[in-house]
Amino acid sequence: MAAGIDQAPGRHTGPGRRTSARPGRATPSGRTQAERRLARKMVAPALTVMALVAAFPIAYAVWLSMNQYSLRQSGLSRFVGLNNYISALTSGEWWTAMGQTFIFTAFSVSLEIVLGIGLALLLNMAFRGRGLLRTVVLVPYAVLTVVSAITWRTMFEPNLGLVTTVLNALGLPGGDVVWLGEPGYAMAVIVLADVWKTAPFVALLVLAGLQVIPTDVYEAAELDGAGKWKTFLNITLPLLKPAIVLAAIFRTLDALRVFDLPFVLTRGANGTESMSMLAYRELRENRLVGEGSALSILTFITVMVVSLIYIRFAGGNIRAVAEEKE
Amino acid sequence: MSTAQGTVAALPAAAPRPARKVRRPRNAGPGPFLWLIIVAVMAFSLVPFYWLLNTSLKAGSALSSGELFPSAPTLANYVTVFQDGDFLLSIRNSVIIAVSATAIAMVFASFAAYALARLRMRRKAFLLALILSVTTFPAIAIAAPLFSIWTQIGLYDTLLGVIIPKLTFALPLAIYTLTSFFREIPRELEESAYMDGASPFQAFYRVILPLAVPGLATTAILVFISVWNEFLLPVTLTSSPEARPVPVAIAFFSGTSEFDQPLGTISAASIIITIPLVILVLVCQKRIVSGLTAGAVKG
Amino acid sequence: MPAKAPAKPAASVDGMEGMNVETIPRGKAPRRAGQLLTAVAAAVMLAACGGGGDTGTTETQSVNPGMADGASGEVKLCGHKDASGINRGTVAEFTKENPDIQAEYVEIGANSDQSRTQMVQRLEGQSAECDLFLMDVTWVSEFASQNWVMDQTELVSGYEEGTIPSTLETALYEDKYWAAPFYTNASLIYYMPDKVSAPESWQQLYEEAGAAPENAFVYQAQQYEGLTVNFLELLYSAGGEVLDKDGNVTIDSPEAREVLEFMAQGLEAGAAPRSVLTYDEDATRLAFESGDYGYQRNWPHVYRLLNESALAGTFEVAPLPAFGEDGTPSGVLGGWNLAINAFSDNPEAAVALINFATNPDWQKRVAADYSQAPVSEAAYDDPAVQEKMPFAQQLRESVEGAKPRPKSPVYPQISQAIYENAYAVISGDASADEAVTRMAEQIEAAQETF
Repeated sequence: MAAGIDQAPGRHTGPGRRTSARPGRATPSGRTQAERRLARKMVAPALTVMALVAAFPIAYAVWLSMNQYSLRQSGLSRFVGLNNYISALTSGEWWTAMGQTFIFTAFSVSLEIVLGIGLALLLNMAFRGRGLLRTVVLVPYAVLTVVSAITWRTMFEPNLGLVTTVLNALGLPGGDVVWLGEPGYAMAVIVLADVWKTAPFVALLVLAGLQVIPTDVYEAAELDGAGKWKTFLNITLPLLKPAIVLAAIFRTLDALRVFDLPFVLTRGANGTESMSMLAYRELRENRLVGEGSALSILTFITVMVVSLIYIRFAGGNIRAVAEEKE
Repeated sequence: MSTAQGTVAALPAAAPRPARKVRRPRNAGPGPFLWLIIVAVMAFSLVPFYWLLNTSLKAGSALSSGELFPSAPTLANYVTVFQDGDFLLSIRNSVIIAVSATAIAMVFASFAAYALARLRMRRKAFLLALILSVTTFPAIAIAAPLFSIWTQIGLYDTLLGVIIPKLTFALPLAIYTLTSFFREIPRELEESAYMDGASPFQAFYRVILPLAVPGLATTAILVFISVWNEFLLPVTLTSSPEARPVPVAIAFFSGTSEFDQPLGTISAASIIITIPLVILVLVCQKRIVSGLTAGAVKG
Repeated sequence: MPAKAPAKPAASVDGMEGMNVETIPRGKAPRRAGQLLTAVAAAVMLAACGGGGDTGTTETQSVNPGMADGASGEVKLCGHKDASGINRGTVAEFTKENPDIQAEYVEIGANSDQSRTQMVQRLEGQSAECDLFLMDVTWVSEFASQNWVMDQTELVSGYEEGTIPSTLETALYEDKYWAAPFYTNASLIYYMPDKVSAPESWQQLYEEAGAAPENAFVYQAQQYEGLTVNFLELLYSAGGEVLDKDGNVTIDSPEAREVLEFMAQGLEAGAAPRSVLTYDEDATRLAFESGDYGYQRNWPHVYRLLNESALAGTFEVAPLPAFGEDGTPSGVLGGWNLAINAFSDNPEAAVALINFATNPDWQKRVAADYSQAPVSEAAYDDPAVQEKMPFAQQLRESVEGAKPRPKSPVYPQISQAIYENAYAVISGDASADEAVTRMAEQIEAAQETF
């Protein structure tokens, strides 16, 4: 998962090293041919499986999205071109869902990154009980998403939930708030549930990045008389950037497709309906096959665009591969 | 796991990496303020899990009280879960599905990832982007067409019928991660294999693969957890307890009516199936961390 | 999905396979892989779209009672998780009495939503796997309009007498019976007689509920189907409706505005706690069990659960009250009907199973053994039933006075329009006036769905 961060700032080795190490250099053309053949053979099985079970359904969904299917007359359908897309894009529902999904993504991913970095810094310290802490923070990562959603719902249950009970017992305000029934709070609970489950994942990636920062970098900083905070800001953070970016990509892709949490916690009420939920509702509940497929494709496109922006500006494995042109 | 650990332990000797000073944890322990934070973090991580455990130990009217500790703890929910033959069957199904999907994905993905990481090939970046893009497709849109194909070719409601589509999502994850691991292995090693007259494929499976074991283990764990957790595909593609995996089986627990959610039983089942995963994560956490450290994020 | 692409003649499939076999030995590796991929993808595409074309039929098929004579073979009833055991029990007893037929109950979904999705998928693939569907009463219009189920008019007309008329109405779509009522459901008011009195009217109930926080009324106002039902119960009692006999939208009415305002004020005044905004049936029941409330609106299954809780023996049950002093009490019907898959290979055995499940003798067992509300009138007077369900008379009253939900193939969209706008009013985000206008607009838009 911590894939592909190849070039941390300050350690550019240049393309020369790689090129010189290429096995094909000795006998360019013959080797190259053989390698290409082998490469294709090695990629083929994986691509075949994916083409069979993913490419075809996706293409099929594209086809469905350009048709309309009658709910009144069985078997009746008509080709409508991009109409389903136009009506989705001109409806308030799509933009509302998209806005809500982006709000969720922005809050949950940034919280996860900040907490993940903090957690990683903690785990990177030497202290008694470090192993225990590492174990404990990984527990949420192992819990099924559906189970975690149900757990958070019961915790925020208005009368019997843990939160209300504790607030009331301590005489704190908020004991009478219906957490999942109010717009802002409902979103906050969903974000919290997501952070709980995935901040450890971010912490793991960042920790991996932390552990390979060479000591001499810090020694140099100490010689310059930089304080702890300054060192963190000017040295540690930039060196962690690749790991952070990677974590952010994976988390963002997941967050943009969020479904289980709002589905279980609020059923989309109080400003929590996500893009995937909207697509699900049209496809499954309303059986608007064409419209629902168009919404799935739009969700797909949105996620793709966001990931391309990440890759364009922040890098990652794909750019590393692309830079290694022949 | 023991073989994998052995290999990892032996790794530094077998494959001398370019010597690199690695930052060790600083000696200064956390101060009182940090200890407070550490305790808070642990509490935040454990409280929901505790609440789940608490609920699983309640039955009947205790479930409708907000008790922080079960006043009359009972194992009745656990008994119910273990007496449910369908649930036990679902554990078997989940293990078969997750193990085989992970194994198949690892074989295919290691081939593909090696080609993408090391071999000359046209349009590599495009291929990688294509592979990654598959993971961004909403699973609901895939599930419905698959259902109609599966029913016609007889894969519906079979374990194989669940394993195959799980590969679609497991493969990109595995390929993307493994590509990075393979890229980190020094090229000099392959080079010397070529000198000895090895073909590129021999170089792959004799030299690269053994060196990548930590990366393979990390990847396998991540893939395993993601396959284990995924819900939408199996709920669409199975209809009988013989093929149903755990996440779906949990949803199938019911009370005495269609409206009734047996919170206690669901919680007990959740605890039962979470514990093996927690153990897996615990046993493998060093592997995950060291795998990541060794393979992925190079300073 | 709906199989509409005309099936390619079988020859082209063979051609594809031929090409496949022929090309592989010769082609170079890369081309070979590409072609293999194309071929496989094409074959899969044919498999996916091909099935329908030749067998596709939009003709209505019908069944009659006589078909059951001499029926044999296997028959499968598909539905959701069988929580009470009634469905398994029914097929088991049926098989025992009809040794020539092997009946089986197949759980295809954990809950009714999943079950509907699974049925739709099967029907779009024209699958004959299930012979009968256990159908929620709100699905009948949709399945009937798609010709997915067989016309049972002749069969059901045969036992109209003796069956509660309101339950029969749920099986009706465009004047024909498309399903047979199997067991029904209507909600009740549960109350604590030590704190509040029996509900005479909704106004009186809300007034007493608002007198003290521990008298409050809990119901289902989460944004989902349950809220539609809770709202319609009041609307029907107030004399309002959603669609008229011809399917015109008539919800934009003073009654709808009055009921919504009434519900919103109830929350504001504390007659119902704000937490109802997150309640479904089970959460409502748990909240009531805590003893903190005076009234609860819920289904009959809660009776047994309450008797297993700390409230055992302290609560009472009443049918839903009227809206206003001299209104007529009404409610909304739930429950399950049996429909025959239009693609079934064994409709004969399916008819035999329906005959068995709906006969008064078995209907008594429905209530006595499985605590479900029977559709047969006689069952409610049976002493064994009354012993098992002491509230049988209240339940019967509720069922008889209840009405079906709006009948439309686009019912899910109608229900969404109702619960989303009702939720906005009850939670205080919208005025009843604008919400009702929007409800009507959205329902009209839904009806225009192609």
